[in-house]
Parts: sequence; C-alpha cells; structure tokens
Amino acid sequence: MTELQEPNSGATPLLEARGLSKDYGDTRALDSLDLAIAPGEVYCLLGPNGAGKTTTINLFLGFVAPSAGQALVSGLNVSTHDRESKRRLAYIPEQVMLYRNLSGIENLEYFAALGGQGSLGRERLVEILVEAGLDGKAAGRRVSTYSKGMRQKVGIAIAIAKKADALLLDEPTSGLDPTASNEFSALVERLRNRGVGVLMATHDLFRAKDTGTRVGIMHYGRLVTELSTAEIGHADLERIYLEHVRDNGASP
Amino acid sequence: MTARTVLRNEWRLLMADRPLRIALGLFVVLLGYALTNGVVWLRFQERTVEATKSGNVERASALEQELEVIEAGGQPFSPFADPRSPLVLGGPSGSQTAVLAPGPLTALAIGQSDLLPYYYDVNVYTNESSFHQNGEVENPLNLMVGRFDLAFAVVYLLPLLVLALSFNVLSEEREQGTLALTLSQPVSARNVVTVKLAFRALLVVGIVLGVSLLGALATGGFGSPDRILLWSFTVVAYSLFWFMLAAWVNTLRRSSAWNATILVGAWLVLVVVLPAAINAAAGLLHPLPSRVEMITAQREASNEAVNRRSELLARYLEDHPEMAEGVVADEPGLGALSWAATDAVNRRLEEVAAEHDARRAEQIALVRRYRFLSPALLAQEVLLDAAGTSDARFAHFQSQVRAFAEQWREFFVPAILADEQMNASVPANVPRFGLADEGSTDVARRATVPLAVLGGLLALVSAAAGVGLGRVRGAD
Repeated sequence: MTELQEPNSGATPLLEARGLSKDYGDTRALDSLDLAIAPGEVYCLLGPNGAGKTTTINLFLGFVAPSAGQALVSGLNVSTHDRESKRRLAYIPEQVMLYRNLSGIENLEYFAALGGQGSLGRERLVEILVEAGLDGKAAGRRVSTYSKGMRQKVGIAIAIAKKADALLLDEPTSGLDPTASNEFSALVERLRNRGVGVLMATHDLFRAKDTGTRVGIMHYGRLVTELSTAEIGHADLERIYLEHVRDNGASP
Repeated sequence: MTARTVLRNEWRLLMADRPLRIALGLFVVLLGYALTNGVVWLRFQERTVEATKSGNVERASALEQELEVIEAGGQPFSPFADPRSPLVLGGPSGSQTAVLAPGPLTALAIGQSDLLPYYYDVNVYTNESSFHQNGEVENPLNLMVGRFDLAFAVVYLLPLLVLALSFNVLSEEREQGTLALTLSQPVSARNVVTVKLAFRALLVVGIVLGVSLLGALATGGFGSPDRILLWSFTVVAYSLFWFMLAAWVNTLRRSSAWNATILVGAWLVLVVVLPAAINAAAGLLHPLPSRVEMITAQREASNEAVNRRSELLARYLEDHPEMAEGVVADEPGLGALSWAATDAVNRRLEEVAAEHDARRAEQIALVRRYRFLSPALLAQEVLLDAAGTSDARFAHFQSQVRAFAEQWREFFVPAILADEQMNASVPANVPRFGLADEGSTDVARRATVPLAVLGGLLALVSAAAGVGLGRVRGAD
C-alpha cells in the first residue's frame, strides 16, 4: 500500500483564497474569490469556459500573479513562498503531458525527484504507478505509446509520490472513458480519506456530485454559489448550475 | 539535488533522441576531419621548414666548396654563376631562406599559414615585390577563411550545433506540456533551464576541447599550456555566448519554429553577413592598388634602369657616399652598374608598396574597429593568435625578414660596388636569420581586448536570459 499523507488536523485550511482577483488587461478573470478547503475535503469548481476555474488553479500554483488578494497553501502566501507552497501541492492538468521518449517509470522518477522525494527505487516507482492504476507491464514502456488515460495515471502517480497536502486538478477526467473516470474518482476518494485537500475544476456535474464534498459554481470570474454535495441530488445540482450560469448576455 | 535530477533526465532524453545523437556524431566526425586537415598541414609545413633549413646549409656548403676549388686553381662550375662575384654569392645562388616555424597549435588552426608565406629567400635582390606576393595582397578578411580546420569548425559550425541543441530548450517544454508539470514542483524555471543548458554546454564544449587537446597532444602543443588555456577559454566563452543567446530567445515566449528562425538568422548575420559586410566595406572604402600596377612599375623601372645604369650609379653614390670608397663612377664594373639598376627598381617599388601598405593598414584598422560587432570575428582572432597562425605573427615575421634583407644587402653591396672578389671564408660569415618569435605576453596582450568584448557580449546575453527566465511561469 502506498504511503499517503496523514490527515491534517490543524485549523489552517490547506487551500485558501482571500479576495483573490486576477485581471488580464481590462478583463477580470477572477473576482474577489474567497474559498477555504480543509483537509479531507474535495472542492469542485464548476462553471462554463472562461468562468475562472483554471485561473484559480494557476493562482494557487503561482503560475500567474494575483491582481488583488492572496492565494494561500497551508497558510503560506503563494506569491511570497513559491517553493514552500509548491512542496505542499500536487497538480494534475487536463492533459498530463510527459516526456514522450521516456518511460512511465523514468517520468515518475524525474518529477518525483523534482518534487523533493529523492531517488526512489525502481521497485517503489512501479509500486506507485500500479497504485495509480497503471498496468505494471506498461510502466517501462515509452510514454509515446500511452493513451491519455494512462498518462493521467502517471500524473496521479506523480501526485502520490509527492505526498502532497493538497491536490489541484484541472478538468482531470476530460476526455477519459467512463471506466478510467471511475478509477480516477476512486483514487481521489482514497486521497481524500487520507486527509488530502482537493480543488478540482471540472465540467462534469456527475463527477463533481459523486467525488466532491462541496461544489462551487463560478460564472464570469465570480463564485456565485456554494453547495454541499451531501445535501443535494444529481438533478438538483444540474438545475442549480443551469440557473446560475444561464447567460443573460452580459458579464457582470 | 535538482541539478543532478535534471542532468540525469537530460542524459536520458539525449540517449532517447536518435536524430540528436546522429547530429552529435556527425559533429565529432567533422571535428576529426578538421583536426586531420590541421595535422596534415602541420606535417607539410614542418617538412618544408626542415627542407629550407637544410637547403640553407647545403647551398652555403656547396658555394664554400666551389670557392675552395677555385682558390685551388679550379674553374667555376658555371661561367655565369661565379661565386667569387658578390652578386652571385649574395644573389639567388647563395640566398638564405628565412623561416617561420609553425605556431604551437597550428594543427588546430591553420589560419592564414597556407596563404601567407612562412619562408622567404633572402638575397641582394629581395625587394618589396618579394613581400607582396601570394595572397597577402588580398583583403585581410578574405584571408580569414582558409582550410577546414578546428578553428573553422569552432567559429562556423559549433554555433549551429549549439543552436540545434538549445533552440527549443524551454519552448519545447512549453509546447509538449511538460513545463507546467515541471514548474508545479518546487523548482524555478531559471534553475531548470540553466542546468539543461549546462548539460548541453558540457557536452559540446567537452567534445570540442577533447578533440583540441587530442590534437595538441599529437602535435606537441602541450609544450605551450598558456596557448591551450587561451584556446580553451575562447571556445568556452564563444560557446556560452550562443547558448545564452538561445536561452534569451527562448524566454520571448514564442514557438520553437520561431526560435529556430531567429537563431539561425542571428548566426547568419553574426557569423556570415557581418564579416562579409565588413570585408566589402574595407575593400570599397580603402581599395588596394592593383597588383598589375606593381608589376608594371617593376617592369618600367627595370627598363629605365637598364638604359640609365651609369647615371643611376652616380646618383646612388651621391646618396650613399659611405659606399663610394674605392668605386670610380666613371669606370664602374658590371656589378656596380647592375646594382645601381636594382636599387632604382627597388626604390620605385617601395613607392608603390608604401601606397599599398597604407591602404592595407586602413583596411585592417577598419576591420579591427568593426570586428567587435561579430563574436565570430572576435573568437577567430583569438583562436588564431593562440594557435600562432594570426596575421600579426606573420607581420612580425615579415618585418624581421625585411630587416634581415637589409642586413644582407649591407653585407654584400659594398663588395658589389667595389667589384670585390669573394673567397671561401665568406659563406661562413654571411648574416644568419634568427627569428625572435612573439612571446606569450604579446599574444595575451593582443587577446585581451577581443576576449574582453566577447566576455561583455556574453554577460549581456546572459543577463537578458537571466531576467527572461526569472519571468517564466507555468501558465506561459
């Protein structure tokens, strides 16, 4: 069984946005986002394209600088504690892109080492890849032969190997078949049970209801509503979502 | 830890990239071919130098023996080349060859040594036309592109390999999507790219310096460690300039194809177009007098001198009263008349040569002024200097040969004018050419400015790359 982070019992949220805003020229991509994700919580950001989901994730990763407000990881301001905050984060993009000429093991070894895990043995690397759902036989093959689902699993393996406190997922199941999506959800569930806080941007309402503990609906850069998934059904979520994102023809 | 991790990954990526391995292999083969060319040239030059040295001894010995035979009552071997005449003993038959030995690293940079004369037959007829033969009349930049040697490979091809290895050092990561995953780890783009470039630089510089040291080892260049150091330092600085330029272009957030186009354009401008433009400007602004003009002047002066030999001799003796002792201008010997004609031709040639030299000096000044625009010209200048095949060393040699030719004339002309007979003791006492070669200090002094400018250019692009890399984010 792969070692995972023990649940964080402290009061400090693993991921926190305080009045977080981002402008691109005259366009406000994110508007005063306030958000806190506790250990063991899976927060799903829903919203149409351009709602600000990816911008939020990029702000937590320090990939873009906020125009106002703060993005905090375990209480550390990302803008001033870039490396320390990244040590506590794992990130799985919509398309996990790896070095095509290297094998899954070699890619995992590289990114795990960059993440601060030192040199893990081959046996351990294969173990992590299998834990992430990759067929052990495929682990040594070049990534250029992998499907998208297999690459996503390597991405998950990188996150597992990093033993991160928080996980940022940017539409991770987009383009995956239902089986692969289910496997992915099961894995997120396992990480959640071990105290990892997860922020997942997704278009998949079903997956959000199924995997998430809370759901936030974004529209034009604003968090327009927050819901507890335990209190609503699939149909309710769809209805509420459509009510909030129905475009009235102008951005606020 | 990060450095070791990235280095290891780079090695794996290189091993998995067949076209890149082939390109590297091809570069090694080209370097091997360039070195072989250099060694072949060096061996040829060494053989020539040995042959000229032994030729000097053989000629002197043969003339001495002939003079002994004549003194013992024998006849000259040829009635037209009686060694008792100072015009024969001091002329082509008894000439001494002044030789410039190959530079310490000639095998690495043939430079201009296949174009500029590295030996001159010095005799009483040596004049300015002797120094204006071969390729020297050409524009100095024309002389810079010689045989395919290591210096050529370094100056022209090494940048292309550097660019092939680094034009997409960052843009590829961005395009294939690995940049975001990389920068989501606790590392900075500046550190990662620096290590990636360091790996490539170690590879390229290691190969070039390895082949260079092998060449130096095989040809005795290790006797001049200071020159090897200068060579190595220049190779490193020049390579790093191109690596840093590629790094900076990568930070402009454009596609790999755009980077490649810009960098190849930069190579074309800095390595090919600018040197050619400076060359063209030098030829256009300070055109050299035609070589035909020099030949015509020589012929006209010769014809005139033959017709007016007696008059010229009288004038010569007026100009050189110290030579007039024992010479009766009204009844000059054939030797004196001949010398008067020769001297008149020499003077006319000196006028033409002076104009030529002045123009050439202007050309060189222009080239020296604008060479700072091209790192290729700067690197080539220092590499040739380190190898001992720079035009400065040849000019140094030539000026000593000029002085030696003067010394030779001073030895023989009084005897020519006085119509004296030479004896067997003379060959052993004729002036000998001894080259006072340049010292390492001279070379180091000359290399200081181009190396400082190259270092400045490197610092400039490094700073630009450093600033650009500091701005790289995963969402680029």
